[in-house]
Parts: sequence; structure tokens; C-alpha cells
Amino acid sequence: MRRGVLGIALILTLGGCASMAPPTPAEPVTGTVPGSVAAVLDESMALLMERGYVVRHADGDLGRVEAVLGRWPGYRVRLEVASAERGSHVEMTALRGGRPLPPHLLEPWMMALRSRLGRGG
Amino acid sequence: MAGGYWKILSMAPFLALVGCQVTPTRMPEAEPAPAAACHWPVNEGAVPLARVVEVLESRDFLVRDTDTSLGFVSAERAERTIYHNAVDPEPRFGGFLFGGSGGHVSSGVGLGIGFGGGGAASEEATRIERVSVVVGGESVRVSRDVQLYDWRGQLRQSRTASDADFCHELRDAIEAGEASP
Repeated sequence: MRRGVLGIALILTLGGCASMAPPTPAEPVTGTVPGSVAAVLDESMALLMERGYVVRHADGDLGRVEAVLGRWPGYRVRLEVASAERGSHVEMTALRGGRPLPPHLLEPWMMALRSRLGRGG
Repeated sequence: MAGGYWKILSMAPFLALVGCQVTPTRMPEAEPAPAAACHWPVNEGAVPLARVVEVLESRDFLVRDTDTSLGFVSAERAERTIYHNAVDPEPRFGGFLFGGSGGHVSSGVGLGIGFGGGGAASEEATRIERVSVVVGGESVRVSRDVQLYDWRGQLRQSRTASDADFCHELRDAIEAGEASP
């Protein structure tokens, strides 16, 4: 009897893990921040590197920055910046060990980026 | 035998957890945080990007990406090293026997369990160091990490390494070039 209960519990536990598994594309956090594309890229790189991220790729014309963090199991953050009517439009995505991270984790970073650019820095 | 079952069953929740990935509650950052020495002020145009590239290349770094308009360089360096902590915690199963004698040929699968030798367990590994440098109008910023891959190409260690020693050395080298062009 108890064995059966344990078995069911195990199946439920594993089922919970499996439901997290499907590799959905990373959902981006989007927002508009003040400043030109170049200014936003400069500030994003500073923000990432202050936190120990190593920028692997950056292109001012394409408006892209990609950075990694050397902590287990490996993190990757990507920013896509395009000029918008007022300021720039930013799209941020994050992966952990190749799997997308929920976008709400990046909200504080988007806010930090906005406030830093708002200071005129 | 029933006792053995219970042992396995009591381990099951832990085994189940191994497969799960815990989602962090906030974006991870380097721990420890990058050293203050990895960010230093400069005058506008005092550090040409070419100088940074030259210094990195003289230290066997391979430049992976640059963007001159952003003042950005990303480079990495790989070196062979010995990984001293190569004790495999999991036993290795395996073995296939094939033999024949007296006109009879038979094959069988033998099960062997081996644990990596004690003490002298070290194997060849590759150490990859990744560095990014951004030369801005007012300051230079450096970040770095180090990863260790074993001979199977599996990531064994990964850590952030924006430490003061590395950044001091890099800064000195960059500035030495400026002083005596």
C-alpha cells in the first residue's frame, strides 16, 4: 500500500519536472528606454560587465549585445536594441544552461537600464 | 530483499530531484563581484582599441569579436592543463567479453564496476579563459571567466574570474604601451 503511494508520488514528482522540459523559445522582456541605440548598448555592456558577465558579441549597427556568465550551468543574456520614436526599444532574453529563464527575472535589469540612461549617464 | 527495495524507494525522491532544474529567483551575478581594479578611468581617446587588441594577442588571446564604434573587444585563450579532481563519483559499468575455445565460440556480457583510481586521479583538460574589454569615453571595463573542459569535452568547472590580479596586469600592459609608443 505504502509502496503504491510512494510510486504515485514519484511519478507525480517526475511529471512536474517533465512539464518544465519543453524547449519553448525564450520570452523576451521588452521596453522603451531613453537614449540612442549606441548609448543604450554602451550602458547595457557596462551593466552586464559590472555584474561579471563577459560580453561575447556586440554590434552597434545591428544593435545587439550577447553576454555570458561563467557560473554553473552557464547563463546567457541577449539584448536587441532598435531606435524608436522616443529613445530606443529594447528586447532582453536570458537562458540558463540553454533553457529560457522567465522574463520577470529580467525586469529589474530593464529598470536599472532605464534609470541609468535617464540620469543622462 | 524487501529491505533493499525500501532503500531504493527512500532514495527515489532525491533521485527525482536530480533531474529537476531549479529556477533562480533573480538574475545571477558573479560571486565574488568583479574587482574594482577591473574598471578604471581614462581620458577620451587615451586608450586606442588597437592597443587593447595588441596586448590581448601578445598574451595568446584569440580575438573573437570587436566593434570599434562601441570600443569593444571579446577574446579567449585556451590552454592544456591537468585536471586534478577527476575522481568520477559514479561507478563505471561496462565490459564485453568474446571468446572461443575447442571449436565453440561464445560471447557474453560481463558486468564490471570500477571506481576511478584513488589519489592519482588527474587527467588532461582544456582551460578556456574568456575576456571582454570595453573602452568607453571615460573608463575601461574588463570582465573575465574561466572554464575547464575535460578530455571528453565536458564542462567540469566554470567560474567568473574578474579578479584584481588579472585586471591590474592588463591595465599595466595597456598603459605601458601608451607611455612608450
